[in-house]
Amino acid sequence: MNRIHKKLQKTDKVLSIYFTAGYPNLNDTVTIIESLEQSGVDMIEIGLPFSDPLADGPTIQASSTQALKNGMTTAKLFEQLKDIRKTVSIPLIIMGYFNPILQYGVEKFCKTCQEIGIDGLIIPDLPVSEYNAHYKTTFEKYGLINVFLITPQTSEERIQFIDSISNGFIYMVSSASVTGSQSGFGDQQTEYFKRIACMQLKNPQIVGFGINNNETFMQATDYAKGAIIGSAFIKHLNEHGVSKISEFIKGIRA
Amino acid sequence: MKLKVCGMTSGENIQAIASLKPDFLGFIFYEKSARFITSDIPELPKSIKKVGVFVNASESEIIDTVSKYDFQVVQLHGDESPEFCSSLQSKQSNLEIIKVFSIKDHFNFKVLKSYESVCDYFLFDTKGKLPGGNGYSFNWNILEAYPSTKPYFLSGGIGLDDVKNIHQFLKSSASKYCYALDVNSKFETAPGLKDFNLVQQFKTQILSNTSTMNYNINEHGYYGEFGGAYIPEMLYPNVEELRQNYLKIMAEPDFKAEFNQLLKDYVGRPSPLYFAKRLSERYNTKIYLKREDLNHTGAHKINNTIGQILMAKRLGKKRIIAETGAGQHGVATATVCALMGIECVVYMGEIDIARQAPNVARMKMLGATVVPALSGSRTLKDATNEAIRDWINNPVDTHYIIGSVVGPHPYPNMVARFQAVVSEEIEWQLQDKEGRTKPDHVIACVGGGSNAAGAFYQFLNDTDVNLIAVEAAGLGVHSGESAATSALGKEGIIHGSKTLLMQTDDGQITEPYSISAGLDYPGVGPMHANLFRTSRAEFISITDDEAMQAGLELCKLEGIIPAIESSHALAVFKQRQFKPDDVVVLSLSGRGDKDLNTYINYFDL
Ligand SMILES: Cc1ncc(COP(=O)(O)O)c(C=O)c1O
Repeated sequence: MNRIHKKLQKTDKVLSIYFTAGYPNLNDTVTIIESLEQSGVDMIEIGLPFSDPLADGPTIQASSTQALKNGMTTAKLFEQLKDIRKTVSIPLIIMGYFNPILQYGVEKFCKTCQEIGIDGLIIPDLPVSEYNAHYKTTFEKYGLINVFLITPQTSEERIQFIDSISNGFIYMVSSASVTGSQSGFGDQQTEYFKRIACMQLKNPQIVGFGINNNETFMQATDYAKGAIIGSAFIKHLNEHGVSKISEFIKGIRA
Repeated sequence: MKLKVCGMTSGENIQAIASLKPDFLGFIFYEKSARFITSDIPELPKSIKKVGVFVNASESEIIDTVSKYDFQVVQLHGDESPEFCSSLQSKQSNLEIIKVFSIKDHFNFKVLKSYESVCDYFLFDTKGKLPGGNGYSFNWNILEAYPSTKPYFLSGGIGLDDVKNIHQFLKSSASKYCYALDVNSKFETAPGLKDFNLVQQFKTQILSNTSTMNYNINEHGYYGEFGGAYIPEMLYPNVEELRQNYLKIMAEPDFKAEFNQLLKDYVGRPSPLYFAKRLSERYNTKIYLKREDLNHTGAHKINNTIGQILMAKRLGKKRIIAETGAGQHGVATATVCALMGIECVVYMGEIDIARQAPNVARMKMLGATVVPALSGSRTLKDATNEAIRDWINNPVDTHYIIGSVVGPHPYPNMVARFQAVVSEEIEWQLQDKEGRTKPDHVIACVGGGSNAAGAFYQFLNDTDVNLIAVEAAGLGVHSGESAATSALGKEGIIHGSKTLLMQTDDGQITEPYSISAGLDYPGVGPMHANLFRTSRAEFISITDDEAMQAGLELCKLEGIIPAIESSHALAVFKQRQFKPDDVVVLSLSGRGDKDLNTYINYFDL
């Protein structure tokens, strides 16, 4: 059984943290992952930086640009993560855009993920149809869960379809936006959270985009299985460095 | 085009190659050859003709061998006389005869005459030390002088590397009677042992182009292997709405009527097809300029923005966003938004805003908001990213007017269709002027590829029309400062489309460079990626310097100051020769007003 399934079976109010690998410093990756686990985070999304992150707002863009300047590459990230399973046991997901994965070689990428102990992938610009037609068997061969997104604009029919082909969780984008562009959830979001909760999907949902404090975390997890924090965490890293990670997590959980 | 594979020596290898179904398999019965066959020939599929190859063998030896192996064809590679062929023909009436001639730098085609009636095909091979199998090719242009109508085989050192040359050759008149390609030594792992994969690749690459092929989009949104819609789920509803409606809307009579009327009364179409007499004299060919520079706002870009603003209105959109590099597309978008009274936001890289001040001012005068793209390299690719982000943030009321044949399906196809008016006009204008609808060559510069898509559109599947796509080589293709995507790019994903793009080994998109801001894009539209991959179009790279000189030359010869983008297309005449009676149409995509500063600085005016 995949670590993601186990975690989602046992835990509610799952807290997942996104960070950009290679930021603030090239070799912070392992330190950040270990401190996140020690601070009680349930799941981690390791961001593979890309030059042109279309779905991301300024915070994650800037961290990606910096990470690339620092020298981060796909091969480098894998090298850093080589022994990660000796110290870390929570689910690890790689989130990245498709082009770097394509250039690395999809099969080789998946194989290395399995060797390292990566549990799943989130690739925002790999559409469902392409995944199904060309990559599903490869992902499955290496035991990787592919996570799909839904948004407030996704039709009910498509949500049902995405649920039917998902196996792990559904990444529920909180609002029509890129990452990091929200402050607080209004009635619209709450209604959307409720609407999805009522659909009784087979896969649990984890909310992402716009979660930045205890309040938004609680609002999201009232309806969904968990929530993902990205930009707010990166801002925190930017301001306080890697040594103050547990303070940030405490603030969210409070 | 037929394929003949020649010179296998082992049964197993013969069977492997036969499974690829070439049209002919040749077996060499010449003891001195490294490919002399001693093994048995296995049963072969009936569709493959078996050819026995002989060098000065006696008639009885040939007849015995033919009956032993049941050959349908013999290839005579020595000094066999017409009388010899005639005698063989009379004794074996069902046997087809290929007579071989070797060509070095010259060939006296008169010798063919006496063989005309006594053989079925000619075969042209490279003259070398050996009777065949020398492993290098002759200058195929010699065949321009081929006086006969007999089908011939082209042979001599043909390899996988020649695919592009072959496609080129097949477009030329020299290939009119070329019936088959004959391959041998370049496809071997050892003499007599053919490499299955190489032959397979060669076959698909040759056939993909010579059988009737569709170079337009398929029902899945792909041009060959390029295209698709690699977009985040957040964009799915917008792109899907467009995909489901664009063809329907474009087919509506009142849409067409409004589009055509605006193109006529507002843009000033049809744009003239102008015979450039002095330029033609300079390059000794017939050059027509398709004058997109005379359109309102000074370039072809407006054809697309007119189409898309009408599309946006019919989709009920209230707000328009666009990206721009040099500002041409931004101005064209701001213009149609003013025309329709719709809000307009244009994203432009911070660096481009600084270097294209007049166009920024134009957009502002036209009522658009110009938003600087501050991320990444702060140029066109980042402006495109920002526009896409805006669209993600405004999924309901906003339409994104992309400025070229790039982006997720259906954009490349929709933009190409709006630009297709260019080649539609070329057809009837050429009919008036030359009494024919098809030019011999069409030349256009390629940034994303929209003016080229428009100029090529009607001729895509007519392989008699040679398409020439011109990319910006900047300071030189391999200088590190270039935008020659086809030469430098690899397959990947940019702005929602699988295509060729310039990137690092790690898949990070790199910054291109060209003196012309409109060609300064790291990718190329998927249609062009496919035209490149299939060799349907010829791709030529032109440096800054070559383009600037060609631009100045047009000023002096024709009194037309071209956009620097279009100057790249003009520079082709220095690189490539055309025949005196060739009809060459060049897409003069824009006027040079916007580039005056660059011209001033470059020429120290
Ligand atoms: C005059 C002109 N020609 C060509 C181009 C290149 O675009 P495309 O390749 O889409 O025709 C531009 C782009 O700004 C342009 O302004």
